[in-house]
Amino acid sequence: MARHQLDYFYGLVTVHVKGTLIEAFLQACTREGTYITNVKHISPNEIEMTIRLKDWTIYRKLRKKYHCKIKIVNRKGIPFLYHRMITKKAVLAAFICGIFALLLLANTLWSVQIKGLPPELEATVESQLEEYGVNEGKLTIGMKDPNEVQRLLLEDVPDLLWIGVKKKGTSYQLYGVMKTRQDPDETTRPADLVASKKGMITKMFITKGRPLVSVNEVVEKGTKLATGELKEDSDEYVEAEGEVIAETWYKAEVKVPSTKQLQLTDGEKSSSYALIVGSLRIPLWGWWNDDTKGMRMEEDEKQWEVFGWELPFKLQVKSMYSENSNINELTSEQSIKQGTLTAKRTLRQQLSEEAEIIEEKVLHQSEENGKVKLILLFKVHENIAVTKYITQGD
Amino acid sequence: MVKWQKQLRSWVGRYFDLPSDVMLDLPRITTIGSIHAYIENHTGLLHFSDQEVRLKYRDGHISIKGKELRIKMMLKEELLLEGTLDSVEFFTDQKEGGK
Repeated sequence: MARHQLDYFYGLVTVHVKGTLIEAFLQACTREGTYITNVKHISPNEIEMTIRLKDWTIYRKLRKKYHCKIKIVNRKGIPFLYHRMITKKAVLAAFICGIFALLLLANTLWSVQIKGLPPELEATVESQLEEYGVNEGKLTIGMKDPNEVQRLLLEDVPDLLWIGVKKKGTSYQLYGVMKTRQDPDETTRPADLVASKKGMITKMFITKGRPLVSVNEVVEKGTKLATGELKEDSDEYVEAEGEVIAETWYKAEVKVPSTKQLQLTDGEKSSSYALIVGSLRIPLWGWWNDDTKGMRMEEDEKQWEVFGWELPFKLQVKSMYSENSNINELTSEQSIKQGTLTAKRTLRQQLSEEAEIIEEKVLHQSEENGKVKLILLFKVHENIAVTKYITQGD
Repeated sequence: MVKWQKQLRSWVGRYFDLPSDVMLDLPRITTIGSIHAYIENHTGLLHFSDQEVRLKYRDGHISIKGKELRIKMMLKEELLLEGTLDSVEFFTDQKEGGK
């Protein structure tokens, strides 16, 4: 009965009718086109019935003619509900607030996801987005259109080849492709390759230019390894390029103390927690562990954020580790090992990444003042070729 | 109504096999067991109580008797009765015997 469900929207009124001409009244009302349901007989001159709210005026018009008294017993339906809501201000206010909050939350940007870009570029894109006002916690109302964001990003971030911007509900999804840059200056400048240090060539691969040395040759610093002049005395120059791997030698002097102090913790830890508000520190838990004698203390502060705002209080966690220090006497073998390791590490920092340390040798070892002095020799394979531009006379 | 008109109507109804309630302007009463009665094409409600419902039609009136009668729905020419039905009686006005 679809009719009944619709009636609920228009409002239904249960009325109590009293009078002597009830039947005639009902008949007259139906003739006017009203719809009456659930007529219950109460006493010979009284009935109860349900009518539609929109027919109310017809009943009012006719009741006088038939001398009937109408009393409303019950009201049902949306119009009455609406009316009741209006009269209850608090409920109405809460309802409006709820809807407002819902709209607000639904129109807030909750996440921005960037895919397909290296981290540096991702950070650039993110900061650009922030400039446009597109970041987490912002309202999407009045925010720039995804198409416009896409256009702006492509304009402002030159490293982007393409970026797709899609708004999915409360999140922005970006998918970017980075430009693989070709070197802009393809025009070559005439250049030679020269040795940057003394060494014995073990491997060479000249991609451009004419090699002047060969494998197993010992070259001094500054020796021309390859020339950009393709033919002898031709004045036709290119930029020589290539790799010349040579064996080079490094001498290192290291002093290693013959004793070694070690701080050891046994893993046992006790923590204390405190809340920091401004400059005030409120201990929360474990303050009885704050005694730090013979202990190593680590402090960690946690800051909370809500929608990008930092909360004014921090949680401080102090961890105390009990510590034993012991002094070890090193044997000469151990100190050599130690010294070599240290020297190797220092050397590694000076060398380029592709360089390889092939061999190490102890040349000299002596002990003085509780320290072991070592002279070490390292053999390294590294690229010694550097580009040297030719300044042409004219 | 004039007699020859009535006879013509009934003849046309029979000839074209039309439903007689349409042709003859008579009420159609549908009952479901003894719990529902659906009356169409009546011309007026005369009396309503939980024991008896009287309805007018063209030639007279109908009396439906029962217990705990309720009008479930009422429109201009339709009526849906609910309750325990006992009897449906017809009274023709021409015969002055009926109520």
